[in-house]
Amino acid sequence: MATMVNKEYVNPVGKSVPRIDGKGIVTGQTKYAFDVSFPNMLIGKMIRSPHPHAKILSIDTSKAEKLPGVKAIITAKDTYNIKFGSNEYFFPHTVDQMAIESEKVRYVGDEIGAVAAIDQETAEEAIKLIDVKYELLPHVVDVEEAMKPGAPQIHQSMNNIAVILPVNFGNVDRALKEADYVREDRFYTPAAHQAALEPHVCVGQWEAFSNKITLWASSQAPFKCREALAKTLKMDLNDVRVIKMAVGGGFGGKLEMLPMDFAACLLSKKAGGLPVKICYNREEEFLSSRRKHGMIYKLKSGVKKDGTLLVMTGEVIADGGAYCSYGPTVIAAAIMRIFMVYKIQHFRISGYRVYTNTSISGAMRGFGGVQSGFAIESHMDLLAKGIGMDPVEFRLKNITTPNMVTINKMVLTTNGLRECIEKATQAAGWKEKHGKQKHLCRGLGIGIAADVMGAKMYKSHESAGSIVKVEEDGSVYLFTGAADTGQGSNTALSQIAAHELGVSYSRVRCKAGDTEITPFDTGSFASRVTFISGNATKRAANDAKKQILSVVVEELKLNIDDLNIIAEQVVNAKDNSVVMSFDKALELCYSFNYGRQIIGRGSYNPKTTPVDFRTGEGNVSGSYGFEAQIAEVEVNKETGEVKILKMWDAHDIGKAINPQSVEAQIEGSLVMGIGYTFLENLQFDKKGRPANGNLANYRLPRSMGMPAMESILIETNDPEGPFGAKGMGEASLLPTSAAIANAIEDAIGVRIKELPITPDKIIKALKEKEEQENQEKNEK
Amino acid sequence: MLLNPVKFHTPKTLSEALQFYGSLDHVKLHAGGSFLLNSLKLLKRKGVKTPANIISLHKVEELKGISIDQEKLTIKSMTTIDELFDFPQLEDNFNVFRIVCRNISTQPIRNMATVGGNLTCRYTWTEMPAVMIGLEADLHFMGSDGKSQIIPAEEFFKNAARTDKILTHVTIKRDKKATIAYRRVKKSPYVDIPLLSTFLKTYFDRGRFTNTRVVINNCVAFAQRDHVLEDFLNQNTCANGIAQEALDHLDKTIYSTRSSDYKQHMFRVSIKSALEELIKSSKHSNK
Amino acid sequence: MMTLIINHKKYELDLKGNETLLEVLRDHLGLTGTKTGCEESECGTCTVNINGKAILSCVTFACALEGESITTIEGLAKGELLHPLQQAFLDHGSVQCGFCIPGMIMSAKALLDKNSEPTREEIDYALDGNLCRCGGYPKILEAIWQAGREMKKDQELKDIVNESIELSESVSAKST
Repeated sequence: MATMVNKEYVNPVGKSVPRIDGKGIVTGQTKYAFDVSFPNMLIGKMIRSPHPHAKILSIDTSKAEKLPGVKAIITAKDTYNIKFGSNEYFFPHTVDQMAIESEKVRYVGDEIGAVAAIDQETAEEAIKLIDVKYELLPHVVDVEEAMKPGAPQIHQSMNNIAVILPVNFGNVDRALKEADYVREDRFYTPAAHQAALEPHVCVGQWEAFSNKITLWASSQAPFKCREALAKTLKMDLNDVRVIKMAVGGGFGGKLEMLPMDFAACLLSKKAGGLPVKICYNREEEFLSSRRKHGMIYKLKSGVKKDGTLLVMTGEVIADGGAYCSYGPTVIAAAIMRIFMVYKIQHFRISGYRVYTNTSISGAMRGFGGVQSGFAIESHMDLLAKGIGMDPVEFRLKNITTPNMVTINKMVLTTNGLRECIEKATQAAGWKEKHGKQKHLCRGLGIGIAADVMGAKMYKSHESAGSIVKVEEDGSVYLFTGAADTGQGSNTALSQIAAHELGVSYSRVRCKAGDTEITPFDTGSFASRVTFISGNATKRAANDAKKQILSVVVEELKLNIDDLNIIAEQVVNAKDNSVVMSFDKALELCYSFNYGRQIIGRGSYNPKTTPVDFRTGEGNVSGSYGFEAQIAEVEVNKETGEVKILKMWDAHDIGKAINPQSVEAQIEGSLVMGIGYTFLENLQFDKKGRPANGNLANYRLPRSMGMPAMESILIETNDPEGPFGAKGMGEASLLPTSAAIANAIEDAIGVRIKELPITPDKIIKALKEKEEQENQEKNEK
Repeated sequence: MLLNPVKFHTPKTLSEALQFYGSLDHVKLHAGGSFLLNSLKLLKRKGVKTPANIISLHKVEELKGISIDQEKLTIKSMTTIDELFDFPQLEDNFNVFRIVCRNISTQPIRNMATVGGNLTCRYTWTEMPAVMIGLEADLHFMGSDGKSQIIPAEEFFKNAARTDKILTHVTIKRDKKATIAYRRVKKSPYVDIPLLSTFLKTYFDRGRFTNTRVVINNCVAFAQRDHVLEDFLNQNTCANGIAQEALDHLDKTIYSTRSSDYKQHMFRVSIKSALEELIKSSKHSNK
Repeated sequence: MMTLIINHKKYELDLKGNETLLEVLRDHLGLTGTKTGCEESECGTCTVNINGKAILSCVTFACALEGESITTIEGLAKGELLHPLQQAFLDHGSVQCGFCIPGMIMSAKALLDKNSEPTREEIDYALDGNLCRCGGYPKILEAIWQAGREMKKDQELKDIVNESIELSESVSAKST
């Protein structure tokens, strides 16, 4: 049910208050990095390899440098040749990319330099004048070909396997023998693209007199970007400023420094400090930013007659593209998610993150969980079918519970999975409809998932910091490093700050993601912001509150534990009687006798244990979120088209800080999941270039055909989360494809194991089913 | 700049436009603009030379408007797809434009794209050619020498839509006797086929198909007539099962070129469905 | 030199001829509310209204628009007073990253100006040129329906006011 905005701004946690930054957006005033423009600003363009795999022999920029209007050109010789990566903490050998490659290029589009000129035409003209000599090397595009001995070697790793993750628990071989029913399935999930509407864009400027750089960025992780820039430019952190502007969507593609960020800064330095703007056009977006790992997911599992999921084995082969980016942790996440969802004692899945000469696979919303969600949730339905058990009953038999430790040492505290399944199935009418609508070619399918609330992926810590500053007129600043990319974190964090401080939400202004002004935050990924940055903000607001109360206490000779601030009043904590108004208390703080500035600070690093990626053990997150999703479909057997009638998503979010925002995240994830299920398929040609790298051919979901969506919010009140909140951002994307595939099987009895589910696959599967049934009839 | 330098002309009358068209070199006409500008951007990116002169027809009022009388429908070439969709008097054989226009591209494009542009841009993924051939439309051209020319749609597209004249308007004779069905595969949000359309028109004479036209667009050519299917239908009545039987009488060559199995399947589904609709409306009106 | 009328203001511009309307809005006039998402008329972030119709400014020649009334997102609010669509988008939580919003609102405005009570199907067709990658469609639909209701109320009020003005004018005309 759609939630309307709530204009009661006192005690804002739990209310759907309006977006703190909404007005600027609806009036077109909000500035994205895309809109940033300065006088004398130069336009930068990357120099890209036209070859999928080659040695760089020489680069001659002399002609280009003479072109009028060209202000700076950089190649590898202008850099320190320092590599950067996104999993350096856990997988140091996967730090394999240079912002400007010096020796080799590994995919069509690989960056070997950059040009800054007075306008785009001049920059493009200059690039045409640059003479690059390559020695072509054999290349490989198909991931299974890349793993074969003798395949072209892209980096140093054997068989192009960057990382092997052999996750192994229990005694798999014995368990397979003990199972009553064993089945094997192969699933395929294609590469896809984040396709944020705002392309990758940045403006870099170098200040000569202070040797400092500023980058106006469209980034989900400004601090990560700062860190990588500092490393590759050999600068101190406090000489690199990354200012996150409003971000027009990230979805994982803007979670790290890209060569453009590096190039904009270095070009500016070489151009004497003129600001340089680099913006990828849509073709470059598909060619050379980041993408989703295509995965081959092989599963072989065994169950007992009574429905116990005894053992799961298999192999995951992920197409990583030319460099590692977040690849290793994506594979790890893909494999290990299952332990949050199902109790399983015997498990052996090996994950291979493989290099190919194609664009770079990195993080995309879901982080491996979309691929594993499709494979595992489809496989679970097939296992249930094999023992004649209802898919919901089968899941309920095997799901994790509250307050348990999983076999790989994840500590699950609040766990609303059972309630999610029960509420979703009830709302969807599972008992009445599942298996009973075949005559209408309609079916119901379920998929369940769990998600982390943060994960220590690229650093030793993943803390967030916040500062809450209360001005003398009672207005409040919240400084947070958290990166709002549209999910509403500025709003939610401001609500937390206001609620904890005891004031109206309308008093708060939020300043986020400026590395020079706001405290550190690892960024927007792994659905971490509400939980981790929220806790930091709550602590900062609490600290500010205590500072105010300490003045009141001093003035009135009271005990600080006797006081609180609620609904803009300083009150007696025991009976809520008013002592004085908040504004009066503030007046006191800033009065002649006290003159105390109120600057509250807080930081939060979740209590987790390091993950040992060799064994798969470790409590990766401070809390876990859960959900169950049901899809109802209707299939047109003649055209093969699948219409989604409705989707239900029951979600354990701990506590909804802003219910409207949570609904929007759920609905948004469902839409993206529907797109991935039916439409999105990033394909590569023989040279590894995107074959459908534009919006005309890479189809994205539109309003037409989007089904009704019902979000059911389940509040388990996490003891660790701020006001009980866990958060969410990705989870509703994880089981969608499987829920739909399961519903299609319920409707027409065919199983599609390869995404996207296109009408031709349905027609083909129906034909094969008919042929098989005829054959069986004839044999009888 | 996203487009190469160009000299942009905005004539106010048709004769002014024709004057420019006849006297300038390396020229392109600007109608709706979506196809033209996307092409110009693509050509620039690829480093291909683009026209030096653009003649915009936006301000030529003589080329705008739709009119209808008992005899015919007249669509001036700068009429947008949306204007045609909204025209209140799309009756009889003109009714088919409602469904055709609805399913062209997206709303902003429908607001900009013109009937004339859709017919003359020489892009095989356009809807109007098949419909105009099916409706036996006449295309009216004017040359820069002031001479006018009328070309039947079918002839124009057999000649690969080549012309050195400006299309001024399209006329279609009103036809109360024809029964028409149109199918267009694209608009499902989950299907990714750029264009697949089938246009069927027939005249029922006591249940017999006569003078049938079957025009399909497979994106290979602008539109093609399936004479094999037409001949079969013209020898038959709308008996039970004729729609299914007709599928064994298709001109295989025109459906299979550059077509996946699914596309060919969808042509069959579309034709069968269109035939069933024709038969149903004939029975309904006792033709 | 030519004149463009944007948001009821006249702008005298010295254009070369190859400028798209989008370039003129963003680069020449600093009206950056209208966005560029693809440059291939697929995403709808560049949608403006020309003579009340939703038009993609990335495939429109600026020089063809002399004398035509162009409205961008910046022209909707009247000072602090938001247009019903802008208010509705805020009330329903339809705004996520916001990059699609200006284009989305302009397409919705063109629809509601013509038909303030659209069906789901009519909205789907009117918005089929506007992508929202954040997937905000459900809340965008709700906002459009609310805005339609508000705009219908506003129009009914306007009609009542106009009617009474006409009535009082005709009464005073008769009495003189």
